Amino acid sequence: MSTKRPNDRYDSFKKYSELWEKQINDFIYLWSNNNEFVKMSNDGSEAHSRTLEIFRKNQEALASVLNIPTKNDLANLASLTIQTEEKIESLEEQIWNLQDSVKSQSKEIESVVEVAKEIIKLTKQLKTELMKTKKEQADSKDVQRELQEMKLELTKLNNFKDEFEILKNLIEKGKQVEPALAGVDSAK
Amino acid sequence: MSVELSFKDLVSEFDYEKEMNRWKHVYQLLNEPEPKIGHTPRTEVWRKNKSVLWHYPAKQTKYRIPLFFVYSLFNKPYILDIAPKASVIEGLTNRGYDVYLLDWGTPGHEDKKIGLDTYIQKYLKTAVKRALRHSDAEEITLVGYCLGGTIASVYASIAEEPIKNLIVATVPIDFSSFAGPEKWAEGLKNGDFNVNRLVDVYGNIPASYVEAMFRAVSAPIYFSHYTTLLNRAHDQRYVDKWRRMNKWSTDQVSFAGEAFRQLSNDFFKENKLVKGELIVGDKNANLKNIKANMLVVSSSNDNLVLESQSLPIMDLVSSEDKTYKLVDAGHVSLALTGLLAVVVDEWASTRSNPL
Repeated sequence: MSTKRPNDRYDSFKKYSELWEKQINDFIYLWSNNNEFVKMSNDGSEAHSRTLEIFRKNQEALASVLNIPTKNDLANLASLTIQTEEKIESLEEQIWNLQDSVKSQSKEIESVVEVAKEIIKLTKQLKTELMKTKKEQADSKDVQRELQEMKLELTKLNNFKDEFEILKNLIEKGKQVEPALAGVDSAK
Repeated sequence: MSVELSFKDLVSEFDYEKEMNRWKHVYQLLNEPEPKIGHTPRTEVWRKNKSVLWHYPAKQTKYRIPLFFVYSLFNKPYILDIAPKASVIEGLTNRGYDVYLLDWGTPGHEDKKIGLDTYIQKYLKTAVKRALRHSDAEEITLVGYCLGGTIASVYASIAEEPIKNLIVATVPIDFSSFAGPEKWAEGLKNGDFNVNRLVDVYGNIPASYVEAMFRAVSAPIYFSHYTTLLNRAHDQRYVDKWRRMNKWSTDQVSFAGEAFRQLSNDFFKENKLVKGELIVGDKNANLKNIKANMLVVSSSNDNLVLESQSLPIMDLVSSEDKTYKLVDAGHVSLALTGLLAVVVDEWASTRSNPL
């Protein structure tokens, strides 16, 4: 059995077409790859441009006489629309920037509010402590007054003690005098 | 040993079913409307002029840092989300990334004065700011593809926004080498061919001219894709893929005139980006300003952006963490097959602050 693949006519056609294509393109490459061809192309392009320029000028002149807009007029109008679009875009970007700054300011305000909340909390705590202190102060004044009173009473007590001592001394002195007087009476 | 070939060996056997499918698909392809490109679920975040910033939410968010895609100005970015299972964006959202995509849109006649500096300063910069705000992320990963990579690199060199990672794929940085004929490059550089007047007269470079330019550089005569299609037209999956690819490759966008002039003069002619002389607005876009983690991806079969155009960025940036990866793909197939998602995920997964 032959291992050779049967000849496919489409495949052959494809291969030949690729070969022809390559040969034609190689020929064109060799034919056009020179300075003369480049200069000739440039001349052709210049001539073509010149013809088109004349044509366009006449067209503009005719359109002006006929009072009809040309492609350039429409292009100018479209340019104005694009300019407006750019201005709107620039405004949109400015709004973005404003939004961003508002956002950052809001964040700052939020942090300030947080700090303020802390301060209020702290103030409340201080107020409570102050009340406590005032109460304690009032209590301590009461204690002080009571102490004063106690002190006064103690002083009075001391005075009383002194008086009592004097009285006691007097009583004792009196007791000593009385037997002496009794001795005098009996001697009589 | 001599091999005798019979007539049967030379001509394949006629497979009726296969041939019926082949010609049925060819008929459908010629008569049916172009395929609709579905999208991974997305929402519009921002719109300016014709540009739109899209957000593709992650299926299950695994990373804090989102990916921001910057695509080329030459083509439409739906190549990054071309079909389910082959979509780069779908692959990345499935892997847990939030993805943003800036679709530049198709410039109209009124946009002819939009230069690359305007695209970078008024569109890309704003879009990145919007993506950062939308995602609520602190940093972002930029992913630039093709010319989008060049734009992303220029932006990263002047950006004030927090770019943690920069990924560029098939990116042209050094314009001293060129994929097309060298005499064309020489002619453009020494002024033998000048695009200024063409730009002035057209305003924007028409899409057909952009397509012709790429065709001229890669392959002026191009029909082999049709014969490849005919060869494989019996395969429905290939036909679907071919149709989507064909739709995308012929769906070019016009190029804003001023941007084309800058690309031609500042980048291609004077190679200012590599020399560190590029000025964007009032800033010097020097690649040495880039300090973000960097991944550079090149395709080995790329016939539009050569490896020698991408590689120099590795020495020009100041990034400490930088990786270069050469993958076996083409300029478009890297995105078309979804391979880019795998490459990006492998590198970015450890650099995107996993949750």
